[in-house]
Formats: sequence, C-alpha cells, structure tokens
Amino acid sequence: MRVVIGEDLFLLRDGLVRLLSAHGFEIAAAVGTAPELLTALTELKPDVSIVDVRMPPSHTDDGLRVAIEARRVVPGLPVLVLSQYVEQLYAPELLADQAGGVGYLLKDRVFSDAAFAEAVRAVAAGGTVLDPEVVARLMARRTRSGPLAALTPREREVLALMAEGRSNAAIAARLFVTEKAVSRHAAGIFTRLGLVPSDDDNRRVLAVLAYLNS
Amino acid sequence: MTTSGDPSAIMVRGYLKRLRANWPALLLPLVAAGTLGLFDAQLPRLGVILAVLLAALAPRESAKLAPFAFFGYGAYGFFLAHSIAVRESRPVDYGLVHVGPADNVPWVLPQAFACLAVGVWLLAVTGAPGGGAVRRAMAQLRGTDGQPRTVPPLLLLPVILLWEEAFSSALWFTGTYWQSPLPALTVSALIFAAGVAAVVWVPRAAAVVAVSGLLLFALGGGSLCVHWLWAAGLPLNSLHWRVGTMFYGAVQLAGGLELRLRGGIGVPLPGGISGVLGAAQGALLLGFGCALLPRLLTWDADHQLARHARALAQRVEGLTRSRTDATEVAVAELRRIERDLHDGAQARLVAVGMSLRAAEQLMIANPDAALALVAEARETSSRAIDDLRDLVRGIYPPVLADRGLADAVRALALDAVLEADVGVDLRGEPPMPVAAAVYFAVAEALTNAARHAGACAVQVSLEHADGLLRATVTDDGHGGADPARGTGLAGVERRLATFDGILAVSSPVGGPTIVAIEVPCALSSVKTSSS
Repeated sequence: MRVVIGEDLFLLRDGLVRLLSAHGFEIAAAVGTAPELLTALTELKPDVSIVDVRMPPSHTDDGLRVAIEARRVVPGLPVLVLSQYVEQLYAPELLADQAGGVGYLLKDRVFSDAAFAEAVRAVAAGGTVLDPEVVARLMARRTRSGPLAALTPREREVLALMAEGRSNAAIAARLFVTEKAVSRHAAGIFTRLGLVPSDDDNRRVLAVLAYLNS
Repeated sequence: MTTSGDPSAIMVRGYLKRLRANWPALLLPLVAAGTLGLFDAQLPRLGVILAVLLAALAPRESAKLAPFAFFGYGAYGFFLAHSIAVRESRPVDYGLVHVGPADNVPWVLPQAFACLAVGVWLLAVTGAPGGGAVRRAMAQLRGTDGQPRTVPPLLLLPVILLWEEAFSSALWFTGTYWQSPLPALTVSALIFAAGVAAVVWVPRAAAVVAVSGLLLFALGGGSLCVHWLWAAGLPLNSLHWRVGTMFYGAVQLAGGLELRLRGGIGVPLPGGISGVLGAAQGALLLGFGCALLPRLLTWDADHQLARHARALAQRVEGLTRSRTDATEVAVAELRRIERDLHDGAQARLVAVGMSLRAAEQLMIANPDAALALVAEARETSSRAIDDLRDLVRGIYPPVLADRGLADAVRALALDAVLEADVGVDLRGEPPMPVAAAVYFAVAEALTNAARHAGACAVQVSLEHADGLLRATVTDDGHGGADPARGTGLAGVERRLATFDGILAVSSPVGGPTIVAIEVPCALSSVKTSSS
C-alpha cells in the first residue's frame, strides 16, 4: 500500500516513515512543505496519505488546505490528517465532499503504532476515522433539536464509535453486544437521520457528517 | 392618610399638585393688580378677575404667560420713568409706588429693571415660548462647550465700569428727580450686579463687550481731548460741548458734582478740565482695552487648547491605568504558564526520564518490568503532550492563528456544550492581539452561559462597523448575572481595556443575559480560508 507523508518536522516525518514501513506500507513520498505535498498527492495518487495540518510556507493550516484541494482534484483520495490539536471546525470541512476516506487524528495517536496503522488502513479503505477527542466533545454537547435529538442514548454511543472509524465487530466488542445488535442500531441511526439505503460505507460517512454538523 | 379611594380628595390633591408645579401662574394676578392705577376705568379690575380665573383654571398656560406679563409691566415702567423724566413729575401708580409724594417717583425705574429681570428668569424657568432659546443661549455663553467657568479677574473691572457707563441711570433718565440718593444707588447696584453676573455667567460675551466698549469709550475720550484742543474758541455752554462732556465717566462725575453745587442743569465744567479728564480717562481705557484685546483674540484658541489638554490628560491617565493592567495581566499570565509547565509537562517529562532510566537498569534482569516501565513512560509522555496542548490553547489558540477570528469563534461555538448559533459579518481580520482578546472574551462568555446561566442555546454575533469590532453573546438562560462577582469577566475587561475596548453585561432576572464587547480597531485584508 503506497503512502505519501506530508510532515514538516524531520524527526516526526522520519518516525512516521519508519513506523509505516514497519507495518508494511510502501512510502511513495515523504515531503515537508505544502506545495510539494500537493504535487505528490495529485501526481502520485497514493493509496493513502498522512498530512500534518500545520506546514510551511505559512505555518497555519496549509496541510489541511492541501488535503482538501487534493481531494477536489482526485475525488475520494484517502487522507489521514494529523494535528497537535483537534478542531471541531476542520473535521466537517474534510468530510464535506461526502466521499469518505478521511481521517483526523491527534499526532500522539501514533504512539500506539498498531492502532495507528489500523486507522491508516481504515482510511485507505474509504472509512472515516475521527479522533476520540473530537467525538468526546461532540458527545458533551447538549442537543435539543436536530436529527440527533431523536437518537436513543445507545444509538448515540454506536454513532460515536462509528465516527471513530470502528467496524461493527469492533463496536460490538466494545459495547459487549452482538454484532447483529450493532447492525440493528446502525440501521436505526440511518433511518432516523433519513439516510436512504445505499452503500453501507457511504451511509456511515453521511451519518458521521450529520453528527458533526449537529 | 385620608381615604385614598375618595375621588374628590384625589382630585383636590391632583389639582394642588398641578398648581404647585405651575407656581408662576400665581404671579399673573399680581401683575394684573399692578395695572390698577393705569386707567381710572373698571377695566383693570376686570383684568385682575380674569387673571385669577385664568391662573385657577389653566395653571400651566398661565405660568407660560407670566414672563410676558412681567416684560409688559417692565416696559410700562420704563415708559413711565422716561415720560416723567422728560416731561413732568406727577404721582404715579407703579408696582409698590402708589399715589403719593413726587419723590417716590424714582422708584419706578428700579422696579422696571426688576420686572425685566424676573421676566427673563421666568422665561427660562417655565418653558414658555422663547425659554428654550434663553436656556440654550445661557448654556452656550456659560461655556458648556468646554469653556472654563472661572472668571478672568481682569475682566471684572472694565465690564462693571462699562456697564455703569452704558446703562448709567443719569444717561437715560436725567438726574433731575434724584433728590434722594437711594433709588439711584439701587439702580446702580442692580446694574453693578448685572455686570458681575455677566462676567461670571457669560464671560465670553462680557469679554467682547468689555474690549470693544473700552476701545469705543477710549475713542470718546480722545475726541473730547481733541475737541478741547481745537475748539477752544467755542462758547463753553454750547449744546454740542454740553452733550460731549456730560456723559463721560469721570467728567460726568465731576460735572454732576458741579451741577449739584450750582443747583442747575446742563452747566458743564470748564473745557480745559473736561478735556484733561477726558483724555486721561480715554488713555486709561485704551490701555485697558489693549491689554485685554489679545486675550479676546486668543479666547477660542485658549479654550480649545485647554480642552485638548484636559482630554489629553484624561487619555494619559487612562493609558497609564490600562498599561499597568496590561502589564499585570501579562505577568499573571506568564506566572500561570510557568506554573502549568512546572506542574504539568515538565514534571511529567522528569517522570518519563526516571521511568526510562529504571527500565534501562531492569532491561537485562527483568525485561517484563522494564517493558512495563517503558509503557508507563509512553503514557506519561502522552499526558505531557495533553498538558502542553491545553497550555498552548490558553496562550494563543492555534485555530485563531490558522484561520483568524471568525473561524476561531465558530470553532469555539462548535466546542461549546450549548447549542451555539454564530453570525459573523467581518470583511477582514482584526490585529492579532485584539483578535485574541475578543476570542477569550467570547470564550469566557460562552463558559459562563453554560456554567451559570442554565442556558440551552446561545447566539454569538461578530461584526465590524464604523471602526468598531463588536461581539455579542446572548443566551436563553435565567439571567440575573452580576458581572462584578466573577473574576473571569473582570480579567477579560482589563484585557480589552488595553485596546480601549469595553465589555457590558445586561442580565435582567429571567434572562436573557447579553454580553457585549466593543473594541475600536481597523480590519486588515481578508484571511484566505480553505472552506
């Protein structure tokens, strides 16, 4: 699986290269600036990319903008965005094209390398992986109106785990229920959010997006 | 208390209250009574009855009529005094002067003066037509537009001098009937008081009168002197000479004395004495006028400078205060950062180092324990990162640096536990320090709304108009917040004050609570956003 890495700090870039190589990824390119990253993403069209939000030249959210731009040029290009901080604002922007294949994680999630590699694979497979912190803050919000208010507490829990990019099996294991029960909850969520039956992955993305925009 | 429910008692009380509020109406019958001696007919008595009826039935209208009645009565007094002076002396009825000995007649003039003064005062008091103009003129002349109210002492003398000169009773009403000195002294005292009042209340106008008057009268003195030098051949008692010398300050005074001594009218001093006196007085007045003139010419500039100086002093005071505040805030902030680093990330990194060192030592002997220690070190380093992340958010939120104020406030709203609706109208980006201050102010308001107001939803608006950046946070909570109680908003206020910004809280019991923030600033060009 070919990966492009965009990270301006050499130590971190090097660490990511080693970590991903160790987990069997092929490093197509590892770059340190936003323009280089855009070129690498649009020309190499990797299976998945790891992008730091803050990058040169302006050291603001250049990486994020490159990721969104690259996905505009190459629709559905899987991008896992890493950041020192998670902002509620950025996740919906990344997911706005509803194409899936998006991840948004805190940088220190790379400490647990196996989980991180799994998240990279999930994004590559078109899934949506949001940092537990993003999800936790969403859970903290009081919801009075909107479609989410209609969800049962259990359904909200399932939706939160779905947003973290977990499969039905993983959710079932986490909540100590059967996978069938999780499927049922998922179906309930889709119905309540008014998502017509289609490709299950796409509905998951849409459900998470609705969750973020609530 | 009498039966409050009794309608007639209420009506009487209401009427008395109305009468008390319109007390000048009661003066109307008084003035009408003063006209009793005007004609011999029954008409004046009818006037008194009408005035009483009017005051009783329409107190408010009567009150407004009162000043004009006084003007009329005053004018009548002047007419009376003048006609007495130029024609004959006859017993008159005027105010307190009634049919009686002829030497009561001079009291007419002081009363006429008093009537005019009372009229002007009533005009301003009752809100009668023209009262507004009087009040406005007084306010303007009194110097509400920044003129100082202190009296220039130098002005006092010439103004009173000129006042006496211009309105001297002897000038307008020849001194024939001033057998008793009292009325003349009263008139003079009134005129004198008016002069002092003019200097105190309308210094600007008094200054103009003083300077222009001084110069004019100085000219008069000069002409007297010239007249004496060139027209020495004229007969001393010619009319021209008499008029010229009669009314010129010291000359007049000396002339009056002479007059009194000789017991006649219109016999002037010898031309030489008049001329010397006139010239001396003219020179004195000229000197005085010239000394005051520069002061008059720079009057406006002086006041403008004084106003600017006051404004600057206030500004300096405000800046000193806000600078002290800003320094204190900065120091407190640095101390907080130091403490957070010391107790947080720094301590955790020490722990990481110790764990790794222990793991190093255990690596051979007890690999499992070493592994556990390494895992612990990793966990601790993760916490250190969390600490640093929180710290940095509190110093300068990354989203503010990345996206600017509008998106940072949107991000705040997304992070809020309340349902937050954000409306932004910014066509640019405020300077970074201002953006940070406003950001933290909004953050504090949102925190308060969630924590204290029991609110479910908040509305945040952010706009920039007329050089003011304005942010408001409105919640749907129970209100009743006391901004003085918490320290959070006070800190925010001090931080905003550094940029001349203000924070206002409106929180009636029952809600809603509105926190409004205003900071004067200019916006720079729009920050590009990826969305």
